[in-house]
Amino acid sequence: MRRVITLALLIFICFLMQSTLFGVRDLDGITPNLMLILTMSFGLMRGRKEGMLTGFFCGFLVDCLYMSVFGPFMFLYMIIGYMNGFFHKNYMVEDVMLPLIVIIGDELLFNMSIYVFSFMLMNRLDLKGYFTRIILPETLYTAIITVVLYKIFVFVNKHLKEKNKEKTNA
Amino acid sequence: MYKNNRKKDIPPKYLLLALTIVCVAFLLLSYFAGDHMAKIKLYTGKIIAPFQKGVNEIGLWTDSKLKNLKKIDELNRENEELKKELEEARRQLTRYQTMSLELKNLQELYKLQENYPELNMTAAHVFSKTSSSWFSEFYIDKGSDDGVFEGANVMYGEGLLGLVTDCYPGYSKVRSLIDDSSKISARLIPSDALCTVEGNLNTYKDGVLVVSNIDKDASVSVGDKVLTSDISDRYHPGLLIGYIESYTLDSNNLTMTALIKPACDFDNISDVLIITDKKQSIIDEE
Repeated sequence: MRRVITLALLIFICFLMQSTLFGVRDLDGITPNLMLILTMSFGLMRGRKEGMLTGFFCGFLVDCLYMSVFGPFMFLYMIIGYMNGFFHKNYMVEDVMLPLIVIIGDELLFNMSIYVFSFMLMNRLDLKGYFTRIILPETLYTAIITVVLYKIFVFVNKHLKEKNKEKTNA
Repeated sequence: MYKNNRKKDIPPKYLLLALTIVCVAFLLLSYFAGDHMAKIKLYTGKIIAPFQKGVNEIGLWTDSKLKNLKKIDELNRENEELKKELEEARRQLTRYQTMSLELKNLQELYKLQENYPELNMTAAHVFSKTSSSWFSEFYIDKGSDDGVFEGANVMYGEGLLGLVTDCYPGYSKVRSLIDDSSKISARLIPSDALCTVEGNLNTYKDGVLVVSNIDKDASVSVGDKVLTSDISDRYHPGLLIGYIESYTLDSNNLTMTALIKPACDFDNISDVLIITDKKQSIIDEE
């Protein structure tokens, strides 16, 4: 139960930060994808199921407030959370390279799907331009923020685990 | 606790399948029963918007403090320049005043006086932006309670910024001109040619917007003003969009395409003005 509440709070905070602080005062129109970092972190640390559920609710918030239809972002975040769960067996607490590589892969996948479904299908075929102006900067920005944010999530996860152990021991 | 245990028994694969079905169901529902979905949106928005406003206030406060420190030098310099400009402007004003008097007299003679009604506006704060880099939509803290409505025009400084697309009691969503799904019918001044201004994220990164469908016979020149046209069904006529920077003849040899510099800076939007007058339309509202 504690885990569910903590996760809900984290999703909420990430959404707020992404849509206000990082969104309004952005660097040249580029917003880092905090919710993708959250989804990735929990997929990596806790496995497929939790990554998937985290992604699902992150996507729900995005769809709810910013999209005209429900569903697309929900599905995208969910799939990414699920796939990141496969890396759970390679997860080590001290490792920073794995999350970095995974988040870069995630960002590319995430942005390419947005490009394909809402830009390429609208006959905006200049992939190179979109790639160098939006996809690449966002990926780098998110990767940099991952280094800091991931540490925080690892700490939260460790804390939750310890609490859980205490409970089962008692 | 019991619930948690049961949840753990479902293999991730099946959960994925179930959630995918939920996503698809949501997608279909929002197409076929959009009104019910709008309610979910309304209530989630009601919960989240106040938090966003709060966090944004904190951000704005620190931002303004930081900016204050940086800007003192800049402001001094600007002040000098502005003083010079003001003198020049005053001189011109007196000239125009005499000219407008003359115009008035002439108009009275011809009984040609056209109505340019003052538009009513209300100011609002931007408190949240789309959560991805791909779309240019944001939220403002005025809603239907303050006379904002769906389709209201939004201005920033002297330029047109966009259009209200969703309106809720305490806040509303604005789509800016540079969003890829935005298209506006516009008019060039002084050549009076009609054209279409299209939002394009990619060209905006270069600081320009694309204007297409200009008649090739129109006498366009660099620096011409682009205003919203009278035939647009959503925008009030005569709002400034930008200035022409360059233009080329299209390959079809019938139309021209131009690049314009927008009149407002879309990167640092904080306070906007919303026009609360409805555009007169021929079609009666239901």
